[in-house]
Amino acid sequence: MAAVKSHALQAVALALWGLVLLRSSIDGRLDLLLRGVFHPLVSIAGLLLLVWAILLVLPLQGRRSKTAAPVVAEALTPRHWQSLVATALIAVLLIGLPPNPSFADLAQRRPGDDSSEAELAFVLPPAQRSLTDWVRLLRTQSDPRLYVGDPVRISGFVLPRNDGPPLLARLLVRCCLADGTPIGLPVRWPAGNPLPKADQWLQITGSMAVQQGLDGEELVVIPQRISVIPRPRRPLEP
Amino acid sequence: MDQQGLTRINTAWALFQGLLIEALPFLLIGVLISALARWLAPGGRWLRRLPAHPLLGPLSGAALGFALPACECGNVPVARRMLVGGAPLGTALGFLFAAPVLNPIVIASTWAAFPAQPWLLLARPIGAVLVALALSLLLRLIPEERLLQADVLAERQLNQPLSAVNLLQRRSGLVGIAATTATVQQESRQPMSRPPLQEVLSHGGREFMQLALLLVAGCVLAALVQTVLPRQWLLDLGSSPTGSILALMALSVVISVCSSVDAFLALSFAAQVTPGALLAFLLLGPVIDLKLAGLLGLLLRPRGLMLASVGAGLSVLLISQWINLWLL
Repeated sequence: MAAVKSHALQAVALALWGLVLLRSSIDGRLDLLLRGVFHPLVSIAGLLLLVWAILLVLPLQGRRSKTAAPVVAEALTPRHWQSLVATALIAVLLIGLPPNPSFADLAQRRPGDDSSEAELAFVLPPAQRSLTDWVRLLRTQSDPRLYVGDPVRISGFVLPRNDGPPLLARLLVRCCLADGTPIGLPVRWPAGNPLPKADQWLQITGSMAVQQGLDGEELVVIPQRISVIPRPRRPLEP
Repeated sequence: MDQQGLTRINTAWALFQGLLIEALPFLLIGVLISALARWLAPGGRWLRRLPAHPLLGPLSGAALGFALPACECGNVPVARRMLVGGAPLGTALGFLFAAPVLNPIVIASTWAAFPAQPWLLLARPIGAVLVALALSLLLRLIPEERLLQADVLAERQLNQPLSAVNLLQRRSGLVGIAATTATVQQESRQPMSRPPLQEVLSHGGREFMQLALLLVAGCVLAALVQTVLPRQWLLDLGSSPTGSILALMALSVVISVCSSVDAFLALSFAAQVTPGALLAFLLLGPVIDLKLAGLLGLLLRPRGLMLASVGAGLSVLLISQWINLWLL
């Protein structure tokens, strides 16, 4: 009977881990936490854990009916219960408290992304470029005067900085949120209006201009229209 | 609590979830490989045929990384299976410390991230083998009884020949007390027979639960440290050649990111640091970081864990200094 119980406890714990991973795959939180290529891996792992839990429990039904069948003896110790309680507690917390990170808080504590692509495979028309496309383009063709007057339609979160007005920013993620690094573009915020709040998601339509920055001339977005938008479903950039 | 405190807790919670949910599938892969090995090769006879030579052992263990591609979280259960199966200590340690880098996925991702730096593509695997060799030799200085955790040692001694381990050490059989777990008892009675699938599933499930809880502890620690410590401080510290190496070593321990993607992360600050520091980041993280500390604690006693951490730090520092002398 002890063996049956210990198998059942294990099955419950494995099923809880499986539920955590499957729930994360379904409720959209993976878009906030992980790069897209890892999403299928999480779902498959969740399914595997559920199947594992079922395989552990299924034969117990047979054993109960055929008492002569051998059962692997295993003592039911307090450790089993402790593991199960800890697993259940973590699972409840993970499922019940979805992540709600502040991208601005995270980005302010990280150095900016400094990687430079040798060349871009293709360049989109200006109005179709995302904020990330603009930043990557500026790294390959760093003369800001090349882009003066180009139309801009970008979205991102407001990232305050100590040495100037806030940037419009995005987080680049290679694996998970823990390795997120910010990229951003300066914006000439409309004079007379209060500066936008940190973490606010904005969509800006406007054009590019050049201004004098700390390290010489830099490209700046001149907004013609600024709209507050909800956080996108997939806010992280690869 | 003020708004900023709440914001920071929310961010830490999200970082924790990101680290944990990304690592759990890799941990599961490792446990599945371990369970499969236990089912297909009960008693682990092939493990005991691996070379025990102080140099060839770790090298052959490191080479196994090519056959078992998993990142560092997944490697722990596989290394545990090697140890309890009776593999020579140096071989299992060579696998544990080198395989997270010496596998096709990690080498491919390093090449994809740094195609213009062929030296890094050579230096990373060679450095990982050198670190694993150094750690294997260093940890051999501690007797197994003081190096390995008690449950690993008990199961390991049952799978070793009597010429290597006496009956009192085996703690079962004709002399000594009963083995601690039924699993161990069963293995001692039927060392050559394939265990029932149900028993393999149960053993693997128990291993996954144990490792998952340790992983949770590691992820909590890594998320808290990342939330409290501004990453720019570490990079600012590293303006000198040696300072940059030390800073990037600290960063790799804190970030705790999987070895299969750490090269892409290193790309984001590669231009700000010396070549040696870049290599240090890519070498140390797969061996020891905050997320891994709990998992490694399942294999090694605190003294062994401490020695491995210090040894890894020193050997990575030496290799990276040499790279800086060569390339700067």
